[in-house]
Amino acid sequence: MRQYAGMDVSGLTRFAKSTHPLYYGIIGLIAIELTVVAMLTVSYSYLMFSSPEWPPAGLEPAPILWPSVNLGLLLASMVSMRWAGNRISAGDRRGLIIGLSTSVALHMTVLVLRSFEMAAFEFRWDDHVYGSLMWTITGFHFTHVASAIVGTVVVTILATKGYFTPERQLGVVVDTLYWNFVSAAWIPFYLALYWGPRLV
Amino acid sequence: MSKRRDDAPSGDLETKDGRHWEHPQTRDAAHHGRREEERQEPLHPTVEDNEEEIRKLELAWAAPTGFIGWFKPVNQRIIGRRFIVTAFVYFVLAGLLGLAMRLQLAVPENDFLPPEIYNQFFTVHGTAMMFLFAIPVLEGFALFVTPMMIGTRDMAFPRLNAFGYYVYLIGSSIFFVMLLVGMAPDTGWFNYVPLAGKLYAPGVGVDIWTTMITFIEVSALTAAVELIVTILKLRAPGMTLNRMPVFVWASLVMAFMIVFAMPSIIVSSSLLILDRLVSTGFFVPEMGGDPLLWQHLFWFFGHPEVYIVLVPALGIVSTIVTTFTQRTLFGYTAIVISIVATGFVSFGLWVHHMFATGLPHLGMSFFMAASAMIAIPNGVQVFCWIATMWGARIQFSTPMLYVLGFFWVFVIGGLTGVMVASIPFDLQVHDTYFLVAHFHYVLIGGSVMPVLGGLYYWYPKMSGRMMSEFWGKVSFALVFIGFNVAFFPMHQLGLDGMPRRVYTYLEEMGWSELNFISTIGAFVLAAGFATTFFNALASLRVGPKAGNNPWHAETLEWVTESPPPPYNQRHIPIVNSREPVWDWREEQERPVVLGLRSDRREVLVTSILDAEPHAVQVVPGPSIWPFLSAIAASVGFVGILFHPIFFVVSFFLAFFSFVGWFWPRRPWRED
Repeated sequence: MRQYAGMDVSGLTRFAKSTHPLYYGIIGLIAIELTVVAMLTVSYSYLMFSSPEWPPAGLEPAPILWPSVNLGLLLASMVSMRWAGNRISAGDRRGLIIGLSTSVALHMTVLVLRSFEMAAFEFRWDDHVYGSLMWTITGFHFTHVASAIVGTVVVTILATKGYFTPERQLGVVVDTLYWNFVSAAWIPFYLALYWGPRLV
Repeated sequence: MSKRRDDAPSGDLETKDGRHWEHPQTRDAAHHGRREEERQEPLHPTVEDNEEEIRKLELAWAAPTGFIGWFKPVNQRIIGRRFIVTAFVYFVLAGLLGLAMRLQLAVPENDFLPPEIYNQFFTVHGTAMMFLFAIPVLEGFALFVTPMMIGTRDMAFPRLNAFGYYVYLIGSSIFFVMLLVGMAPDTGWFNYVPLAGKLYAPGVGVDIWTTMITFIEVSALTAAVELIVTILKLRAPGMTLNRMPVFVWASLVMAFMIVFAMPSIIVSSSLLILDRLVSTGFFVPEMGGDPLLWQHLFWFFGHPEVYIVLVPALGIVSTIVTTFTQRTLFGYTAIVISIVATGFVSFGLWVHHMFATGLPHLGMSFFMAASAMIAIPNGVQVFCWIATMWGARIQFSTPMLYVLGFFWVFVIGGLTGVMVASIPFDLQVHDTYFLVAHFHYVLIGGSVMPVLGGLYYWYPKMSGRMMSEFWGKVSFALVFIGFNVAFFPMHQLGLDGMPRRVYTYLEEMGWSELNFISTIGAFVLAAGFATTFFNALASLRVGPKAGNNPWHAETLEWVTESPPPPYNQRHIPIVNSREPVWDWREEQERPVVLGLRSDRREVLVTSILDAEPHAVQVVPGPSIWPFLSAIAASVGFVGILFHPIFFVVSFFLAFFSFVGWFWPRRPWRED
């Protein structure tokens, strides 16, 4: 069979940053994890609505101040990540590093506050199902914040080595995507865990 | 385009922008006239293959060899083949467990298997068939076939592919080894609490079930993301969504279903393992938990799961029907819409497994309607296949025979499915052998038979040789007869009231004859499967050479050699229709893509809807890191059974191995 030249692709970009397959791969990962978030939230609501009292008798709903502060910090870190991405698009490596480090610092603060908050819980995970849910869901999100931090630290190290340029910034783009997921995943948990018991 | 004729030097075009290419041929009336002209004076220069380029390409795509090399390859065909082979090994092992159960039930009050071993056998049989065989084998076929069908050289994330395989291999081995040491789970494949709670199942068996199933599902999820991105982004130029082969559509729908169904089993089994290891109370009523939550979460996964193994099998059926009738598939659009509809509706059915749990009636009516509704898209497909075959000169080779067997068995399974979708009937046969008969008809008929057909069909592409037709037909006859003899009597047994999961029964129940017949059928069925496996092994050496396209099929995997070179295709083809290979056979020429580098692994990235090229992806080569990452993850999944600290250990081990995996190593400054 004769083969003839239909097109030449030697000039196409090798760096497509927001149409690269990896970009869609991370979206796939986020879709999976969002389903997990949804499953946990639904399980929480299911058990909440099927219980006569929520939280169990003798307990007040968990304090809402620090989780709200955390929510603010998480949302702020999305902004600083976005800013970091804009800086490297403009070719500003220093801006990128500052943006990434700020975001990591914000998430670290969240982890510290979260640790204090969990230490102050008046119940254990094996006391009742409310305790099980609080510990599991907070722990789940804690682990995700921790992985977003370590991942972004690696991206920051690569940034200091000059790996990222306005063309080659896929690493920053996909890290930001995942970062945004981890930060925003707190919203449904926050509403379910801290507002749910107050509203029903 | 015509001006290229003058300035294009020996096969290399000037165009720097792939976006503005035209379809080299259009299928209108004028096209034939133009083609006449071209015969005299070709518009497009012929591409001559250059030995030097081919050598470079082979070097860039070659998989490492040797013992250490076994842990490194990332090429999609190697990983796909491994999935298929490993899955069939589990099929044989779990099948042997099934035979042992049938032996036990052959006569009343048999003592071949003690009850506790019988419980382990049916649990491992069911779990292994679903999680260790059905999903991986279909993923294996999808990983092996779809990239070639869409005309690319590898999948979008080759290393993730390898990672998924090792996770599956490690998880499934640990799961199965537990059976040898007599500590396998014994609570049934859906592992209902409270039976599976710490109180009633104190052993390590259920712990292993929960951790290893979670772990293996990670592998299913990686394959799913991999398939979605590969199918959406790496198709050959011109393969718009409505030209995609039906099998690719089916793989895509399967992958989406995995993405939204598997997290549910991961959440449910994680909650169960927490209940068992650190005494949380999710499923413990005394602590405010609810055992029904397990059933909801499990079946929200479990029902789509049935369609996850069915949908790609339906894709295989469409492929085989098209090839062996040598006709355009009737109702392509209807079939694709049916597949997609099946995917959606399958998420609205899970409660029909729970009709006997006393949920509110209004809700149950909804699920009853949805359960009956899923028959519609599946019926549409069956009618489209009948229309394709109507009046065609069908070639009755082994793959086609398996498909015809599938029609018979699957339609019966579908009919009993509609029966149990109705609540009054379901309550009558709930947990009886009627259900056992129903789901074996659906799973073996709907999934195993097409998979065996697919094995005969794609075997030439995998090995370069044909499987024996004679033994193939013998195997089909044994499978078809054996299957019906084994499972049809179970309908009656169920109506007579024989419950499932009992290790024996009394003679006075009157179930003896049918059980004995069923056991004979099971052995005939096993002989049929064995014939196919020996056929496959023997044909590796003695099968006749296959050639590129032994079945005269129409999809892209058949244009390249059998087995294909490590880079799949010398040139990425350009596609203009749904049956590109048949068109090229008529036209005796085909357009290809130039400009991918031969000295590193490059694949073409195209747009999602219209498959217009817009970038090139450099995919990574062989690496040991995916294997190390899989080990790091297994440390966590096995370790937490002993101490929670392993969760943290594994977190950091996995982190370091991922850094090793992703750290930019190629001379990136010169990119």
